[in-house]
Amino acid sequence: MPHAGPHTGQCLCGQVHFTIDAEPVGARSCWCRDCQRIASGSATVNVLFPEEAVDYVGDIGTMRMTADSGNTVERGFCPKCGSQLYSKTVDPAGMPMRVRAGTLDDPELMAPGATIWVESAPHWAPIDTTLPRYSRGPDSPLIEECA
Amino acid sequence: MTAPYSGSCNCGAVTATIAAEPVWVRQCWCGQCQKAAAGSATNNALFATDAMAITGDVAWKGYTAASGNTVEQGFCPTCGTPIFGRNSSRQGSWVVRLGFLDGDHGLKPASAIWLEEAPEWAVVDPALEQFPRQPPPPPPAS
Repeated sequence: MPHAGPHTGQCLCGQVHFTIDAEPVGARSCWCRDCQRIASGSATVNVLFPEEAVDYVGDIGTMRMTADSGNTVERGFCPKCGSQLYSKTVDPAGMPMRVRAGTLDDPELMAPGATIWVESAPHWAPIDTTLPRYSRGPDSPLIEECA
Repeated sequence: MTAPYSGSCNCGAVTATIAAEPVWVRQCWCGQCQKAAAGSATNNALFATDAMAITGDVAWKGYTAASGNTVEQGFCPTCGTPIFGRNSSRQGSWVVRLGFLDGDHGLKPASAIWLEEAPEWAVVDPALEQFPRQPPPPPPAS
C-alpha cells in the first residue's frame, strides 16, 4: 500500500471533503450507461471501501435510481461544483461504497483491477485488456477473447 | 450519426439538442476534469452555442485554470450529471460531455490532453494525438 489510512479527498470546489479510515477493498472501472453520463463520457473509476469507514463533511446532493444492475443505487455529488463523490447500493445492503477516484487526494491509491459493464462501453473506449473484463456487473460472465 | 445531436442527464431534468457538427472532440486528463469525470478523463465535443437548444436548469461552477483562463463546468443541479464546459478564451462555443449525448452519436475523441496529470493507471488509446498539457490553439482562419 502506498499510504496507510486515513485517506482524504475533496470535490473540485472544496465544499465537500472526506476522510476514510480504512484501506480500499478493490478498485474498478465501470462503463454502464449511467456511469458514462456521470463521468463525462468515460468510465467512472471507483475505489471501494466499507461504507461505515467513509466520513463526508459538507452538503451533498443525492439521486437514487434503479441502476442497470437492477439494484437501487444512490449517487452523491457536490451541489456547488457538480463533482461526483460516490455511489452506494441501498438495496441490497452490505456492498462496499464506491468512492470516485478523482476525488481522492491520491488518485493513485489503488489502480483499477477490473473493468465492468464492458458491453455498454462505446466502441472507442480504451479498455486495458490485461485486466479482467466483465460484460456487465462483477458477477456477470468474464469476457475471454482479446480485444 | 450526424447532427442534430440530442442529450439528457441521468434524471432527465436537463435536455439539449445541437444542430451542428462539433469543432473537435477530445479527452482531458487535467486534475479538475478527473473530479468532473469520477476519476477518468472528460470526453468533450466543442459546439457553437448558437446551435444549441437547452431545456432545464444548468448549474455552473468556475475556477481559474493553469492557463489563467476562467473555466466553468455546467452540471445538472438535481442529479449532478456533468453536461457542459466553457472557457473564457473560447467565446461562442461550449464543450458538451460525451456521456450527456444520447444514443449512438458516433462522436469519439481524436486527441488526449493534459496527460502529465493523468494517473499512472490511466488507459489512453495510443491512436489518439497526445499532448502533455494544453494543445496549441488552431491557426487563425484565413
